[in-house]
Amino acid sequence: MKGIPEHHLSRMPDNTAMKQQNLPAYQLRFSATVVLSIFFGTGVFCLCMGVILILSVKSTKKIEINYTKICSNCAQLRENAFNFDKECICSIPFYLPEKMEGNVYMYYKLSGFYQNLYRYIQSRSNNQLVGEALRDVEDCAPFKVSHHGTPIVPCGAIANSMFNDTIILSYKLNSSMHITVPMLKNGLTWWTDKYVKFQNPSFNNFSSKFAGSTKPPYWPKPIYDLDRNNVENNGFLNDDFIVWMRTAAFPTFKKLYRRLYRIHYFTEGLPAGNYSFNISYNFPVTRFHGEKSVVLSTLTWCGGGGFFLGVAYTVTGALTWLASFALMAVHLMWKKKKIAYQKKSYALRRKTENRNGQ
Amino acid sequence: MPCWKEKPPEVERTVKANDREYNEKFQYADNRIHTSKYNIITFLPINLFEQFQRVANAYFLFLLILQLIPEISSLTWFTTIVPLVLVITMTAVKDATDDYFRHKSDNQVNNRQSEVLIDGKLQNEKWMNVKVGDIIKLENNQFVAADLLLLSSSEPHGLCYIETAELDGETNLKVRHALSVTSELGADISRLARFDGTVVCEAPNNKLDKFTGVLSWKDSKHSLNNQKIILRGCVLRNTGWCFGMVIFAGPDTKLMQNSGKTKFKRTSIDRLMNTLVLWIFGFLVCLGIILAIGNSIWENQVGGHFRTFLFWNEEEKNSVFSGFLTFWSYIIILNTVVPISLYVSMEVIRLGHSYFINWDRKMYYTGKAAPAEARTTTLNEELGQIEYVFSDKTGTLTQNIMTFKKCSVNGRIYGEICDDPVHKKVITKEKEAVRFSGQAPAEGSFEFCDHSLMESVKLGDAKVHEFFRLLALCHTVMSEEDHSGKLIYQVQSPDEGALVTAARNCGFIFKSRTPETITIEEMGTLVTYQLLAFLDFNNIRKRMSVIVRNPAGQIKLYSKGADTILFERLHPSSEALLSVTSDHLSEFAGEGLRTLAIAYRDLDEKYFREWHQMLQTASAATHERDDRVSGLYEEIERDLTLLGATAIEDKLQEGVIETIASLSVANIKIWVLTGDKQETAINIGYACTLLTEDMNDVFVIAGNTVGEVREELRKAKGSLFGQNSSVLSGHAACEKQQQLELVSVGEDTVTVTGDYALVINGHSLAHALESDVKNDLLELACLCKAVICCRVTPLQKAQVVELVRKRRNAVTLAIGDGANDVSMIKTAHIGVGISGQEGLQAVLASDYSFAQFRYLQRLLLVHGRWSYFRMCKFLCYFFYKNFAFTLVHFWFGFFCGFSAQTVYDQWFVTLFNIVYTSLPVLAMGIFDQDVSDQNSMDCPQLYEPGQLNLLFNKRKFFICVAHGIYTSLALFFIPYGAFYSTAGEDGQHVADYQSFAVTMATSLVIVVSVQIALDTSYWTVINHVFIWGSIATYFSILFTMHSNGIFEMFPSQFPFVGNVWHSLTQKCVWLVILLTTVASIMPVVAFRFLKMDLHPALTDQIRRWQKAQKKARPVRRRRPQPRRSSSRRSGYAFAHQEGYGELITSGKNMRAKNPPPTSGLEKPLFNSTSWLENLCKKTTDTLSSFSQEKTVKL
Repeated sequence: MKGIPEHHLSRMPDNTAMKQQNLPAYQLRFSATVVLSIFFGTGVFCLCMGVILILSVKSTKKIEINYTKICSNCAQLRENAFNFDKECICSIPFYLPEKMEGNVYMYYKLSGFYQNLYRYIQSRSNNQLVGEALRDVEDCAPFKVSHHGTPIVPCGAIANSMFNDTIILSYKLNSSMHITVPMLKNGLTWWTDKYVKFQNPSFNNFSSKFAGSTKPPYWPKPIYDLDRNNVENNGFLNDDFIVWMRTAAFPTFKKLYRRLYRIHYFTEGLPAGNYSFNISYNFPVTRFHGEKSVVLSTLTWCGGGGFFLGVAYTVTGALTWLASFALMAVHLMWKKKKIAYQKKSYALRRKTENRNGQ
Repeated sequence: MPCWKEKPPEVERTVKANDREYNEKFQYADNRIHTSKYNIITFLPINLFEQFQRVANAYFLFLLILQLIPEISSLTWFTTIVPLVLVITMTAVKDATDDYFRHKSDNQVNNRQSEVLIDGKLQNEKWMNVKVGDIIKLENNQFVAADLLLLSSSEPHGLCYIETAELDGETNLKVRHALSVTSELGADISRLARFDGTVVCEAPNNKLDKFTGVLSWKDSKHSLNNQKIILRGCVLRNTGWCFGMVIFAGPDTKLMQNSGKTKFKRTSIDRLMNTLVLWIFGFLVCLGIILAIGNSIWENQVGGHFRTFLFWNEEEKNSVFSGFLTFWSYIIILNTVVPISLYVSMEVIRLGHSYFINWDRKMYYTGKAAPAEARTTTLNEELGQIEYVFSDKTGTLTQNIMTFKKCSVNGRIYGEICDDPVHKKVITKEKEAVRFSGQAPAEGSFEFCDHSLMESVKLGDAKVHEFFRLLALCHTVMSEEDHSGKLIYQVQSPDEGALVTAARNCGFIFKSRTPETITIEEMGTLVTYQLLAFLDFNNIRKRMSVIVRNPAGQIKLYSKGADTILFERLHPSSEALLSVTSDHLSEFAGEGLRTLAIAYRDLDEKYFREWHQMLQTASAATHERDDRVSGLYEEIERDLTLLGATAIEDKLQEGVIETIASLSVANIKIWVLTGDKQETAINIGYACTLLTEDMNDVFVIAGNTVGEVREELRKAKGSLFGQNSSVLSGHAACEKQQQLELVSVGEDTVTVTGDYALVINGHSLAHALESDVKNDLLELACLCKAVICCRVTPLQKAQVVELVRKRRNAVTLAIGDGANDVSMIKTAHIGVGISGQEGLQAVLASDYSFAQFRYLQRLLLVHGRWSYFRMCKFLCYFFYKNFAFTLVHFWFGFFCGFSAQTVYDQWFVTLFNIVYTSLPVLAMGIFDQDVSDQNSMDCPQLYEPGQLNLLFNKRKFFICVAHGIYTSLALFFIPYGAFYSTAGEDGQHVADYQSFAVTMATSLVIVVSVQIALDTSYWTVINHVFIWGSIATYFSILFTMHSNGIFEMFPSQFPFVGNVWHSLTQKCVWLVILLTTVASIMPVVAFRFLKMDLHPALTDQIRRWQKAQKKARPVRRRRPQPRRSSSRRSGYAFAHQEGYGELITSGKNMRAKNPPPTSGLEKPLFNSTSWLENLCKKTTDTLSSFSQEKTVKL
């Protein structure tokens, strides 16, 4: 570089790997061995996972009772909105052939209920639910304010449509003795929901905090009356309310309603025997051709899913394996032909060169 | 140019010298130039206006407006405005920087100094303050500041010499001369200051070769033409000083008027993208319609009942109206199939590639300290698709340096190539040995190295002496001594320079000349020859001769010229020598050297006297003067005695042959378009192996009428096809040939067997470009391996490029160095300028510039190929990614009552394209390499996929879209199936909307990241950082946005609080994500593997055979060994211009030893106007863009 004037040097591009595009790099290549072993490995994994999932789902116990039609008289009653204050209790007996071991969860399941409609999802006020600004009903259309102009608390379509059946499970201890299965009302929600996302206005003189507001039109009682027995479970912090407010992704969904309180007879879970659901039928589903069910179920290590995931894993695993065999066969069969082809293409290339390059 | 000052168009311009007040009332533009677009105040409005004229930006603005309508807004406004603002800002910053540099260069030009005559004094003034009517003083080697009327100069007759390289690319000097009335003003400041002539002339226009005007001064009128005008952009040469009056300034100058707006170039990928975007838009509308209909039906069937829980306003109860609103809502949601970040990313990638070009050390020319430069940052991938290269000759293929390579004297060849340094040393010693005392040092550039010639000189071989004497005498070179006493030759043609220099180095030094004598130093002794006659060169005679009387009183005619011409005029006694020399000549020609034959004749006194008498009568004649004179020339130039031949190498630029060979392997066709003469052009064609001796035929089209040209074209085609193929229509044949080249198997019956070349002349080309002959020309040209167009004007260059570009629909590249290449550079898809030359016009108009032709190979085969490869990969991936991302909403539509609910969190929609997935794909788009640069260079065949548009086309696009759709299906339905009425590990929610959204988003990010990981074939550190970093960024942003803190601050903006903790701690969520990834990726891997296994592309093979590569490397073609073919080809080529003989014999251009400042020392000379006008006529023609006959470019 001696003898080259300064400005020559300064215009010379830097000799860095980055600028000269020769950064050290790993070149990804799909060699047959790598691809085939990935395929075999994935196949094995998926198959195993599928079998495990299927087996574990099979081991769960589940009772699902659709009570839309069973309680048809109640359903008819609810068809008419004017009967909103008439109580209707419906009792559904059922037999549990095997005992449900471990934690048992009670769900209500709705189908045909579109909790994922855009307007529906938007129609809530997080500001209000966090207990800070009860008057913030900006996003709650069409349930913002009452006729008198007072804000609805909790406002919005989601809150207004809250599921309000009461389901009580009773166990027929013997022919004459019915006992109510003890159920827990708490622990149904996510921790963050209960302690961050939902907050009551500060506590002293609870109901007065909600003064100047109106209950949602479909609600029989105001928000501060949801659970009078337990202050912790009242107002915006009511577990049933919080569960409802976490909108479902699909029109058919189940939401946790109660969980078994494992004491007395039920320390092991639900023993086999006769049971009945006593349902206070309030939620009108027939109006929108929906259905509702009550579900009792136990869970596996990966929650309470259906067979889908297990089957999907099995199928994927099987397909991957099939594919890997096919790939291997093709690879081996074409190996010879490939060599021939390469020779040909090489010759062809040479020919082109000779033609082009004189 | 201030556009707000609307002036009526100028019809005529009136300028009064030295009278600013008078001129001011016309409001002529001053000399300030303005190429910048904005200033600080106008930047924002103008730039924004320009940006929103772009379809994409307007589209996103439209979306933004849609989103502001609450009834249809399905996404919050920030999802569009954040990217849009980002894009607009980035573009604005780029525009601002560009404009800043324009301001800077404007300022630099505007602030150049010039000497202006103000208030009777010469004052230094900035260029921008020069006004019309001012008188400026220019000094030697200064740039001309404005279009001037030449008033006076330091040279006799008010002559001045200018170089017009910046205007027309020609480096030879042109003569301008002032009116005699004004040239008398000389350098007398007081007289100049009193000068008050008024010029009435044409309005500003862009014709470089025309000027009409009248100067009125002292009650008389003088007409003005182009000869009196010095244009801005010229450089004053060989002239001490001159004075000029400003006629046109600033934007009105011809230079500025000529620099038309650069055409906005787009790449073919851009155009394809436009089509695709339209298709996508159609697709989007279709999806919108499907979903809108779905919504109407749903509202009718289900939604109507569902109103119990969700009151609609009365007017919205109409399900059709609801469908209509849904349509717009879905248009908003699905708009991400045409993501705004696509355009930005493309720009960023191209910018990156441009920087790589700028940074490439292998395209840096140390000799001129010139790095390659990508002047346009938007065309890079087009470099990977070039099919035709149009190249200029001089300065591009050749260095414009002539060297005396070989000679044949009296049947003996001198000057074999010797590269041995030891040998060379010996020769230099030898050379020094033959040098005589007092001899000026030999020119450094002289490289002749055959000591046997020196020996012959030393031994006093009479023929050799005569040979060099001839070279020292028969030329038009002017000599000059600089201050150090060194002899400097001013040459009109570089060929002559080489010959005279050769003679000088061999002891026959041309010292000086007067109109009547030539003085040379022969082996150390000064000899003065009397110059009796000068038989000038012209294109028909193809030779020039001088008749001299030596001190001994003998009269000799020395002649040099084309072998074909001279051989006809030899004395029979030279027969034997002729055949030997002829062999030598063909050998020289085979090596691509330019040859001249050398001969002399002894004349006896009486004969010459008679002849001279006749010549003088003929010269004085007014009638048929030229014919009579040339007849007399013929008469005396006969019975010549052959001396030998010279061979001059028109030095090619380094690596031209290799580059051409390599590009032709890459199936790139190279056309040479040159202003040179046919012989010179053909010669260069052979020299750079574009033409070869073993070509079947070289068609030369040189017809003078449309009919002739057509006939010649047809005939050529006929001989090309044989007899039966004249039926074939032009296009079919062309396409056939094209296909043929692709398949590269020659089995078709109508195949053109063998190699052909086409050489077409400028005036034939003018006819051939007429509408009906066009097709014939194109057809023939496409079938030929090489096409050389000679004597073409700049305009024709552009027309040829346009023809190929339009008719063949091929991607073209034009490369050139001079201003005469500007038009073609601007016309071609890609224009490349050779930098480091004196004129900058070509570089300024070009898209890419570098210093050497050979860098074209690297630019195309490496940078172009990579750019194309990367861009295609990028686009494929981008479309895939966005379809996968967006179509999920479509599937979800069927489960959410077509209510335009998004699947993802709004923040995710906003950030997905610009944060979560942009960097890995950018890194791939910028850094990816399939094969290394060395392999791309060594295996030019790799270039072909680009030409055939294989890597990204409509088919590929559909594959990408299908891939995206498949992925979106997997992405949606696997979580859907898994989440369908499921519960979490603690029995709580997991099938809620928010968890579903998080699961889907996470799966999507992981799937597309794995996909980009698969697509990236060259994993640098940056790729690692970006890919892993993107995933990490996704999770960190996710955790941040779902954190308590941010929720407490903005409860309504971040409703997903805590979601990520609950979802991502569920095992089943991870199982879902895993399954989705496997299901989306495995088929791709399988397909890629199969494709590579069954149909490996050349790149795959090369990657596989990285080690065994050397074998596959095509052998670099060296210069072919000289071949002696039976049909001898003349290597004659001589870049000489007619008219200088007259100049010499008149003595006009000979300066007195100490040039007087004024015109005092003028000698009265006979017919002084005639030579001057003659010369001027001849030199101006070179400026004219349409001259065909007399243009000879140096």
